[in-house]
Amino acid sequence: MNVLQVIDQAFRTTVEEQDDTILWLTQSMRGAGADLTVLLSGHGVHYAVQARRQPALVLGDWKQSEPAEIHHDIRRLVDAGVPVYAVRDDIEERGLQPSTVQHGVTLIGRQDTAALYEQADQIWQW
Amino acid sequence: MSHFLFVQSQDPFTDARAARQYELAIDLKKRGNDVTVVLVQNGVVPARSQAVCPAFDELAASGLTLIADSFSLEQRDIASQQLKANISTGSMDDVIDAMLAGHKVIWN
Amino acid sequence: MTKTLTFAFMDPPFESERTVTFFRLLDAALERRANVRIFAYEGAVALAFARQAAHGNAVHGRNTDEEAHPLTKDWIAALQRKAESYGLTFEWINCGLCVDERGVNEVIDGCGRGGPPDLWRYASNAFNTLTIGTR
Repeated sequence: MNVLQVIDQAFRTTVEEQDDTILWLTQSMRGAGADLTVLLSGHGVHYAVQARRQPALVLGDWKQSEPAEIHHDIRRLVDAGVPVYAVRDDIEERGLQPSTVQHGVTLIGRQDTAALYEQADQIWQW
Repeated sequence: MSHFLFVQSQDPFTDARAARQYELAIDLKKRGNDVTVVLVQNGVVPARSQAVCPAFDELAASGLTLIADSFSLEQRDIASQQLKANISTGSMDDVIDAMLAGHKVIWN
Repeated sequence: MTKTLTFAFMDPPFESERTVTFFRLLDAALERRANVRIFAYEGAVALAFARQAAHGNAVHGRNTDEEAHPLTKDWIAALQRKAESYGLTFEWINCGLCVDERGVNEVIDGCGRGGPPDLWRYASNAFNTLTIGTR
C-alpha cells in the first residue's frame, strides 16, 4: 500500500515540537517500512526551499537548544527513497524561487497533483 | 477510474486553501474519476442558496456529487430547501460507506 | 467478514469542531458494523485523559449535574460500550511521546500507548484509513 502524505501547512509546530510533526511522523513510519510519498503544497512548499536551521526561541532565561532542521528532514526522506514533490505554482505565488528547491525534491505543476492522488492507494492529508 | 470522497470542512470565507481544494476535486472529476464532496462544519456555509461564493458555485456545477451534512446544516439553521442546486443532504454515514467501499477518503 | 477502519486524529478536546465530527465518524463506523482503530496523535492524546472533570455553568445557572458537561473520555467510553454490544472491536492508541509532553498519562481503560509504527500497522491491516489533521 502506497500512501500519499499531503503536507499543506508549515511552521505550526516547528518551535514547540522542534519538528514539523507530519514530517517527523513520515520519517518514523518510513523507518517502520512504510511505502510513502510526500506532497508539499500550500505553505508546505516552504519546506522544500528551507536551507538552514529554524531560529532558536528565547523566553526569559529559557533558550531553545535544538531548533527544527527541516532541510535535514527533507533530505533524510529523499535519502530514504521517499519521493518528495512540491507544487511549483504554490512556490511561485509565495515569492519563493523554484531554483532553490532542495535537491531530490521534484517540482510539479498544480495541474499534476490530481495524478498523484490517482496513483496513491490512500491519501493522508494533514 | 478511482473513487474519491472529500470531507470538506474548510470553506472559502475562512480558509484560503478551500478554493484550491475545490479545484482539485473538480480536476479529478474532469479526469474521469468518481468524486463526492461531503460538506461538514463550516464547509456547508457556501451551500446556502443566497451565499455569494463563485468558487463554490463552480464546484456545485461541476457534476461531482455534493452532499451537505444534516447536523452541520441544522447547527447553522440551513434547511434542506435553502440549499443551492445539485446538493443533497447526508451524514457521516456517507463518509463511512465510502471508506467501506474502498474509496479514497480525504479530509479537507 | 467484518471490516476494520483506522482513523488518525490530532485535535485536543474543546478546541475544534473537528473533534465532534471525528467522534460522529467513529459512531457511524460502529453503526455500519465496522471494527474501529484510532491512532491519537499530538493534541488528540488528551481525548482519553482520565482526569477530565465536568463543571457547572454559572452563566446559565446550572450546577455540575444539571450542566452535564460533555467530556471526550465519556464519549470514548460510550463508543467502547457500543462496540462491545455489537461484537466489534474498538482500539485506541495514543502516541506515547505526545502523551509524555502533555502530561496526560492517565487514560481511561481500553486506551493504550504506542507510536507512529502503530499507525502504519493499524493502517496496513485495516480496510481503509482516514487521517484528520489539525490547523
